[in-house]
Amino acid sequence: TNRASHQSHGLRLQPGDPELSLLSLLDMGFTDSQAQRIYEDTSKLRGGSAACKHALSTLTALFVLGLNPSSVLKLLEKCPELYTVRESLLQQRIGNLRKLGLVEGSLQRVVSHFPQIITVPVKTVKSMVMFLREKCLFTVQQVTDILRDTPAVVLENTDKLEYKFQYVYFRMGVKQAEMVKSRLFRYTLDEVRSRHSFMERRGLYQTPDKKGQTIIINPKLDSILNVDQDTFLTDVAKASAEEYEVFRRLLAREWQEEERLHGTVEAD
Amino acid sequence: TKWAATPTKHPPTSLSLQHFDATYSVQLGQLWPSVRAAMLSERKYGALLNNFSHDAILAELEAQGCRNLLSDTDTKAHLCLEQESEVVAGVEYSGVSISKTSDIDGHKLSALHLSPHIKCFVFPRGDITRFKPARPDVCGLLGYYLMDAASVLPCLALDVREGHNVLDLCAAPGGKTLALLQTQSVVSRTLRLRRVLNSYIPKSLLTDQNLRITSFDGTKWGDFERNTFDRVLVDVPCTTDRHSLTEDENNIFSKSRTSERRRLPQLQLELLMAGIAAACPGGEILYSTCTLSQIQNQSVVEQAVYVARENHGINLQVVDLRPLTHMLRKTFHFAPDLHLGEMVIPHLAANFGPIYMCKLRRLS
Ligand SMILES: C[S@@+](CC[C@H](N)C(=O)[O-])C[C@H]1O[C@@H](n2cnc3c(N)ncnc32)[C@H](O)[C@@H]1O
Repeated sequence: TNRASHQSHGLRLQPGDPELSLLSLLDMGFTDSQAQRIYEDTSKLRGGSAACKHALSTLTALFVLGLNPSSVLKLLEKCPELYTVRESLLQQRIGNLRKLGLVEGSLQRVVSHFPQIITVPVKTVKSMVMFLREKCLFTVQQVTDILRDTPAVVLENTDKLEYKFQYVYFRMGVKQAEMVKSRLFRYTLDEVRSRHSFMERRGLYQTPDKKGQTIIINPKLDSILNVDQDTFLTDVAKASAEEYEVFRRLLAREWQEEERLHGTVEAD
Repeated sequence: TKWAATPTKHPPTSLSLQHFDATYSVQLGQLWPSVRAAMLSERKYGALLNNFSHDAILAELEAQGCRNLLSDTDTKAHLCLEQESEVVAGVEYSGVSISKTSDIDGHKLSALHLSPHIKCFVFPRGDITRFKPARPDVCGLLGYYLMDAASVLPCLALDVREGHNVLDLCAAPGGKTLALLQTQSVVSRTLRLRRVLNSYIPKSLLTDQNLRITSFDGTKWGDFERNTFDRVLVDVPCTTDRHSLTEDENNIFSKSRTSERRRLPQLQLELLMAGIAAACPGGEILYSTCTLSQIQNQSVVEQAVYVARENHGINLQVVDLRPLTHMLRKTFHFAPDLHLGEMVIPHLAANFGPIYMCKLRRLS
């Protein structure tokens, strides 16, 4: 069905005509000013007419995904590199994302929120998927969910990611399903550790023992991470902003000194 | 696997944490999480200025942004430095029930007398800058002694004046002795103490007439030097809460020291009784600990007051320290509504303490 929709779109773009003209942009459904913007953006690109040739196929591919002209424009402004990606690569990358379970709907959403995903080589995405499956033991479905909710994960350094994963798995005793649900990979290691350490020192969070038991009931990862700082402080940690602010500075110094002593993987 | 290696046995630091979670969550209620987080995070120090140093330490410390505890006081509190003392508001004990008069008004506050010679510098609230180690001056004396700034409060509260005969019953390692010596001459005890004093106090002052360091059992002091001292500091051994939470070595919560820990309140009572006996009538005794434990704090004082009256015919009056705490509330967090004595509780933005103190005056 993908191929079919591609072909039907391709008809409107007159195959064999690589020229990107204002007229062809209008023809695709852009308004006058949108077309003007794209025309200017592409002519500014290095590589001149070669880039323009790719621009055309990029636009086609995005329309094939079912995106409307204004979201296509918005996404290209976020990530102009897309204009210069070769058509075959683009198709490969999109195809790969589909294979990874990002079906219609989620695929559109991912591409419009994080267009960079189609600038990343298939190989990189595949090795990140391998990493999530093999080192972190996420299920296929969980990996799909991670890609859908936090596509930027594909650009992360796996050593850092592994450290974050292990911190949450071992120190916080949180299982994969809950990590996915709380969109863990949206947050930096510092954010996760700061909130967790603060809770832990206040006696509101405990590392489970070998049997997975704790004396107190730990709050869900989701309720710690997916709230703004004010809500976190008033509802979850029940502390003042002053305390948390001083705590973060103290913690930063603790980490620095720890790193100096042992050297940890998250050091850049 | 970095996080997988959870220790199988229970180190003393985690035993102390369990113990504190159980007792202090009841005793401090809502305050406990905040105190707990502070005690498990880096503490703040104060720099006790050595008046005997020849270096211009004071200006140096001020340039770094720290301030003398006593110059950064709450403006509503009136304080008279180095003036005639007056009787501080206090209430006599009747039976074991203890109450304090509760009016904090200008009159009572102005009764506070504090030695201007005890100068302790701290970085402002929320500032986590650390002090540099003190350097020796031309005579080899160090410019300041780093200690918990809250530990200076018992010394301030003791109100030692020129000419007073002072007993520091549990002096080692010597931080408080040093603070007291900033005002004058002291009698006290031990070895590390000697070393600390030698680094700070000129030799000419550490003479036998000025200072006696002994290693007698403090609980026996009252046996041979009764009714003698104008001021007695009884800074007893306790569960040293902060230390117990952070250092496994020499930890009172280690299994092998269980009976010693259980005997602490008894030892504390004996030391306080010895201090009471050593004080002269009219003399003042300051009991202090660095624990939050009610059993080691208020209960010990309550019992001592009772035993002193019932068994020794000594009547004691509790001296109200609220003028002091009122004045220093910008720097320290004090526990609210203690029925006896005052307590600095740790807080992340003012991470001093815990220090408990209660001041008694001998009436007879
Ligand atoms: C809380 S520390 C005193 C700290 C000291 N005042 C300072 O500010 O540096 C209590 C001290 O009492 C000592 N001690 C224990 N039992 C004692 C006893 N029976 N008589 C006198 N001192 C004792 C301990 O060795 C310990 O050094």
